[in-house]
Amino acid sequence: MKVLVVEDNQRVSQFVCKGLREGGHTVDHADNGRDGLFLASSETYDVIVLDRMLPGGIDGLAIIEALRRTKNRTPILILSALGEVDERIKGLRAGGDDYLTKPFAFGELLARLEVLVRRAQGGGAETVLTVDDLRIDLLAHKVARAGREIALQPREYKLLEFLMRHAGQVVTRTMLLENLWDYHFDPQTNVIDVHISKLRQKIDAGSERPLLRTVRGVGYRLGGGD
Amino acid sequence: MAWVTDWAAVIRLLRSTSLRLALTYGAIFVVFSGLLVSFLWWRTAAVLDREINAVIVADTRAIGDRLRDFGLSGALQTIEQRVRQTADERAIYLLADPRYAPVGGNLSSWPAEVGEKPGWYDVDLIREGKRHATRALHVVLPANFHLLVARDVQDRLVIRGEIVAGLIWGGVAAIVLAIAGGLLVRRTVLRRVEMINRTTAAIVHGDLSRRLPSRETSDEFDRLAQTINAMLHQIQVLVDGVRNSSNAVAHDLRTPLAEVRTRLEDVLRNKPTTDEALGEIQAAVAEIDHVIAVFGALLRLAEIDSGARLSGFRAVVLAQVVAEVAELYGPVAEEKAISLTVDAASEHTVQGDPHLLAQALGNLVDNAVKFAPTQSTVSVKVERRNDGKVAIVVADRGPGVPDAEKARVSERFYRGRSVGETSGVGLGLSLVTAVARLHGGTLELRDHAPGLIAELVLPESGGTKA
Repeated sequence: MKVLVVEDNQRVSQFVCKGLREGGHTVDHADNGRDGLFLASSETYDVIVLDRMLPGGIDGLAIIEALRRTKNRTPILILSALGEVDERIKGLRAGGDDYLTKPFAFGELLARLEVLVRRAQGGGAETVLTVDDLRIDLLAHKVARAGREIALQPREYKLLEFLMRHAGQVVTRTMLLENLWDYHFDPQTNVIDVHISKLRQKIDAGSERPLLRTVRGVGYRLGGGD
Repeated sequence: MAWVTDWAAVIRLLRSTSLRLALTYGAIFVVFSGLLVSFLWWRTAAVLDREINAVIVADTRAIGDRLRDFGLSGALQTIEQRVRQTADERAIYLLADPRYAPVGGNLSSWPAEVGEKPGWYDVDLIREGKRHATRALHVVLPANFHLLVARDVQDRLVIRGEIVAGLIWGGVAAIVLAIAGGLLVRRTVLRRVEMINRTTAAIVHGDLSRRLPSRETSDEFDRLAQTINAMLHQIQVLVDGVRNSSNAVAHDLRTPLAEVRTRLEDVLRNKPTTDEALGEIQAAVAEIDHVIAVFGALLRLAEIDSGARLSGFRAVVLAQVVAEVAELYGPVAEEKAISLTVDAASEHTVQGDPHLLAQALGNLVDNAVKFAPTQSTVSVKVERRNDGKVAIVVADRGPGVPDAEKARVSERFYRGRSVGETSGVGLGLSLVTAVARLHGGTLELRDHAPGLIAELVLPESGGTKA
């Protein structure tokens, strides 16, 4: 994917740009608001990583508002040291698509970017999702592995649906908490791990090819190679 | 130079609120005294004046009537009568012809002071060698006769003088008393204000334990002192809280930072293989993540304490929050073979932030599940209490919290002695307490014998159910 990183902190931007390039992505970088807005409005990107506070007279929110006014719908992930709920809401209201508080793990950032890009590319109209021999029928609310039906609790079903919609992508614990429970806090114990392991027992039990994998230190991935 | 200082002192004195108050009261007092004096004057001395005038006018009318009806002899007869009647010689009559030559009465000649112009005069008249201070009326009768009727007003003048003197002295005394009273009030007020001043100054200099003295009279100053003392108490609690929590923060972050540091320095010094080094760095990152989590929890606490979240308040159905949290923690409990029971059938509603309530309840359930032994029950209930509030009650069969520690477990970074080394940042119950406080509620801990009952008590909103 083609990513624009607008971030004035050199270490953070180097860290992000390097990580993305190593993952095979194309990255442009701007270290101030004016250049960032110029690049964002003149080039086409799959996703923009935008620092909330920037030098150069134009801050992150102003860039988002300017882009959205010109009907530029490029997904934007806001990076910010301001973690308060108010700030998050402000960022999302201005037109941001996701919000990540500094400090962050690179895996978390990458996972969120991939989800944003996938979401922007559309889809979602399918009524049946499949990963390998795992199949979920969104209309009938039925799940089957290799033709054998699996009974899931409502929350397990939602968890699986989310994972299948992002098949092959890494999904982090916080992403699951935010998307499935709408909780924006750390629930202390790794409750998500337990939910995942319950789901794993049901869909991977007795299978030669486990589909739901743990990506160490980052999150989980359903299907999609090793 | 000396007078300059004096003026400065005077100006300072004039700026004093209490003196201004005293002076204002003095001025109001003087004005009202003046009104009272005028009224008294009107009712006493002026009445005398009016009475005498009336008598004189009546006399002139009577004599004039006699002159018209009975001629000169009739008028003279009346005058004669009147003179005889007023044996005390207070009354003076003089009837004169058109050329001011006396015709009758008890005055030997037309007085020069009165002259030819009719009207009222205040003159000294000499009758039979005696000087009389008089009030006199000169009227012109038919046939151009002149009549002068006068009354000796010596007594009246004396009385009037007495009254005026009395009023003046009374007024002066009143003003003096007003000023003296004002100064007295000023001194009393000033003393109490000065007392408040001294105490607050001591507090400004760092002695937060000082309190304003109270006289137990429950007057305005006492009430002020009590309010200020209550405020000081609250400030002291907050300051102590901040002091304790910053000590705790420093202490709690020092340990993991020291570990990270040791780990990294170890890598630097021993130059291990790349794999080993990477392992160490990964461990260091995990430790730093823990530090970040602590900071995150602290910032969240600060955010809650600041009241910024109040804007997100809306009607929250507690049963819904309980169901969601129980659903989130269900698998964790299941894994420990703990049965997590929920009893939240009734639709209690509170005004609040659903996310914060969920997080607070999450912390309580997390603790309960963490400390409960396997095969036991953790129950979550929503119930109305006798005091009309609603409570989310989380009960477990874990080790409980000793009474001595109950008050302290909500303190930031406090970990119970009996807890030992468990995961968590030691801010869980602080957050619950902060959330409860933000919602106008409390966190109450009780014994479950064995175990702990944690009650998140919230005021129920009578509003519509969302």
